[in-house]
Amino acid sequence: MIIRHLTRALCAASLSVAGGMSLHAQEMVKFGELEAQTGAINTYGWMSSQGTRLAVEEINKAGGFEVAGKKYKFDFTQVDTRGEPREATVQFRKMMEDKVPFVFGPFLSNIFNAIRPIAEQNDGKFLLMGGATSEHDYLGKAGSSYLIRTWNWDAGPEGFGTLMVQYIKKLGAKKVAMLFQNDAFGKVAVDIYKKIFADAGIELSVDMFEPGTKDFTSSLAKIAATKPDFLFPGYTDAILYDIVRQSLEGGYGAKFFIVRGSIGPALKNKDQIEDYIAYVPKYFEEAEKTEPAVKKFIEAYKAFYKRDFPYDQAPLCSSSCYDHVYMLVEAMKKAGTVTEVAKIREALSGMRYSGLWNIKYDSTGEEVISFNIAHVKKGGSVEVQSVDPTAK
Amino acid sequence: MIQLIIGQLLNGAIVGSLYGIVALGITLTFGITGIVNFALGAFMMLGAYFTWYGYELIGLPYPIAVIVAVLLVATLGLVADLGLFRFTRNNLVNGLLVSIGLISIIEASVLLTWTSTPKDLSYVLPGSLRVGGILLPKIKLAVFAVLLLVIASTYLALTRTWIGRAAFAYAQNPEAAALMGVKTNRLQTIVTVYSTALAGLGGALYASLYSLEPTIGAYYVLKAVESAILAGIGNTIGALVGGIIIGISEGIGSVFLPTAFRDAYGMLFLVLILLFKPSGLLGSK
Amino acid sequence: MMRFVPLVALACALAAPLFIRSDSTFAIVTFGLLLASLAVSFNLIFGFTGQLSFFHAASFGVAAYITAILVSDYRWNFWLAIGPALATVAMLALVVGAICFRFKLREFYFAVVTMAFSEMIRLVVVNWNSVTNGTLGMTVTAQPTLWSPSGPVALSGARVWYYVALAVLVVTYVVCQRVLASWIGRCFAAIRLNEQLGETLGVNVFLYKLLSFVIGSVLAGLVGCFYGFYTGFIEPQYLSITQSLDIISMVLLGGVSSLFGPVIGGLVLTALPHVIDLTAELRIILYGAILIFVILVMPRGIFGLFERPHHAV
Repeated sequence: MIIRHLTRALCAASLSVAGGMSLHAQEMVKFGELEAQTGAINTYGWMSSQGTRLAVEEINKAGGFEVAGKKYKFDFTQVDTRGEPREATVQFRKMMEDKVPFVFGPFLSNIFNAIRPIAEQNDGKFLLMGGATSEHDYLGKAGSSYLIRTWNWDAGPEGFGTLMVQYIKKLGAKKVAMLFQNDAFGKVAVDIYKKIFADAGIELSVDMFEPGTKDFTSSLAKIAATKPDFLFPGYTDAILYDIVRQSLEGGYGAKFFIVRGSIGPALKNKDQIEDYIAYVPKYFEEAEKTEPAVKKFIEAYKAFYKRDFPYDQAPLCSSSCYDHVYMLVEAMKKAGTVTEVAKIREALSGMRYSGLWNIKYDSTGEEVISFNIAHVKKGGSVEVQSVDPTAK
Repeated sequence: MIQLIIGQLLNGAIVGSLYGIVALGITLTFGITGIVNFALGAFMMLGAYFTWYGYELIGLPYPIAVIVAVLLVATLGLVADLGLFRFTRNNLVNGLLVSIGLISIIEASVLLTWTSTPKDLSYVLPGSLRVGGILLPKIKLAVFAVLLLVIASTYLALTRTWIGRAAFAYAQNPEAAALMGVKTNRLQTIVTVYSTALAGLGGALYASLYSLEPTIGAYYVLKAVESAILAGIGNTIGALVGGIIIGISEGIGSVFLPTAFRDAYGMLFLVLILLFKPSGLLGSK
Repeated sequence: MMRFVPLVALACALAAPLFIRSDSTFAIVTFGLLLASLAVSFNLIFGFTGQLSFFHAASFGVAAYITAILVSDYRWNFWLAIGPALATVAMLALVVGAICFRFKLREFYFAVVTMAFSEMIRLVVVNWNSVTNGTLGMTVTAQPTLWSPSGPVALSGARVWYYVALAVLVVTYVVCQRVLASWIGRCFAAIRLNEQLGETLGVNVFLYKLLSFVIGSVLAGLVGCFYGFYTGFIEPQYLSITQSLDIISMVLLGGVSSLFGPVIGGLVLTALPHVIDLTAELRIILYGAILIFVILVMPRGIFGLFERPHHAV
């Protein structure tokens, strides 16, 4: 602790010397991130933490950003909730106390539920930008002006869930079987998709399992007996790899419908699957070749973390991640303030940002983002449909 | 319907044999050192990651990768025994706590080294066999065969070799065994390391069946403890039988009842057995 | 000398809010006090009666759920709701304890069977969606009130909850101390030291084991009632095995042979993750290392370092 403060002070001192005692003394903007970087469901938080850190380092290394004639840098703190509500409430209280005006995260619904009462007490003092599905219910409500949800909503006319259900309806789906983790997000997902499937006139059956389960053969056999057209399996890649493989090996079904997860499991089993329809915020393998921003991001990631680029996890950088940091900076510039969060929120609402994704926010503060629906077919060909609701 | 049930009986037995191999480690360690080593779950996870590393990144043939992984895990098991578990002999609670500390260290190290991105091996033995209308994945059958072989040889080793008999004698009556010239310390270390190797093997074989995450150990070690107790702790073949019973009760339970309660089906069975036959299903009264 | 430690500690604790400025420090200390109460109640069963129970998380969680449901859904007064919550926990503990002790399950077997019961209760909580809201957990917005001459005062704010938590700890501590100081405590010790011998000397082993288990569990329930209202959020993780293991670690870290040890353990272990300023993975590695170090190097816990060995029955 002390050492960190000391180094920070030393850095600040050396910077001001190096800067030739510039007139604009360097000021810091506090910025925090609250995500599960370890624990059972950490893939989402892990990717967001990586992308956010990368953006912050880039911005600070380039000398910071200028708002209303003054230069600022980020004073960035990342904390790991481990997916545990108790840890998160303490960490979040600390952030509120340190008057951190911008908080990224959480992506996990149970963490958001736990910190919400504290957040409401501090409404008006900060902005919380997280992807948790459970945030949806509080957007635009009284006492929640702090809340911005950084992921698109499954349902609604432009929701990817709705579009995907329409897509498989065209493929002739009449009956879909959902096999999901019995946890906070799993339960939210069931509520969301029950409605979407009912509206589309498709029959949906639901079976839920304890997180941590590895062998799904018996549940799959039970489900197969009801002969569904598509299987709609859980939301982490580890589970998708297992379910897809076991379903194929046991001959229980070869058509899959995925709303949170990569297409890795489909490509691995490309000769056995028939259809694998997945919501992919961005298909990085393809986008790397055509979009310069994506290529630049991938190279920056590799250089900074000195490891391979995680193509499977990268689409999760669509929630409170790399783009959102740059978007926040632009909003501060536009609002001409780094402290008045209401103005910054307004600036965010009024803008459309183009980075890795095209992003804007709707009137309630929910993200509208460009995305891909990937349809992997037998043999491994990937048909990518791009949807950009921000263009409207 | 009959097909569905037979299919799930077979699958339950295969899944259960994986619980069984870790359970065997639990049973042996408990019999000789008096502690329940929950860290065997973490060693199993290490076995899986080492296999993945050897097979996927270095490109070793799968059987070689498995052997290397088992040896590595056994070496770590030796280090852990000499450095930690040697000091917790016959102290159930301290052993439990030390293993919990060790689990944190191992899991976090794996996370640090290989991140949380799930790993999934390229298929070692793809395809399934069709037996009377039931599709059985070839790899599962192969894993089942190896596990049965290892557990059976362990049983033979325990009953036919000197060290095995010594271990057996020690578990029955430590003092008498010591008087007969059994070197307690060395025996305990050998058994602990062997148990770790078994867990490592379980992990190495697991890697060919399911995806890898740093958290997989906890789930398997709990099932293994259940299995070990179910059949009567200290019983070699019982560990396998216990694992298979748990595997089957979960499988059949999930077919007829909601999957959400899957973990409870095995447990309920366990509690009933313990109440009415405290020495376990196969234990002598 | 050691007799005065708890009193000195209490005096310090009463005065502490004068020096604590930050809300998050209050949060850590309040959590610490509540978890310390949980550890103290657990040690009655474990340290003083020698039974390694894994049922503590279930008692804690069930009581938290029942109070929250009665207050939020049925508009009960918080203080009245504690009654049924504790009664339910007592009943559950009676049933589980009676089964385990009647069938003479010992040590490891007792641990595993209580763990199995605890897990089954957790699965019921997870899946009883209409009542518990399942895995999404329950948000508790209502606040307990205290009577005052000028009308009811809501328990809210960091300072107030700090004192509430302290009161819970004091109640738990005093109940345990009274029990242990009486002849009941001597019977517990007899069971811990040598069950067979106790039996031949005429101690009703079944009865006193059950008594210890029920008292400890009910006290855990009491903590649960308050804990849920303090955090404002209850989820099935309250009943998890991890929660039970955390409690055991606290007791062992603090010192198993005293009533005061678990208090230290609870406070230290709650604060530890927030004090260590490291990356997520390194922090967990350090946490594990500390746990191992304590067990192997100072087996009588932190409190044991200051305490002269005594084995008074």
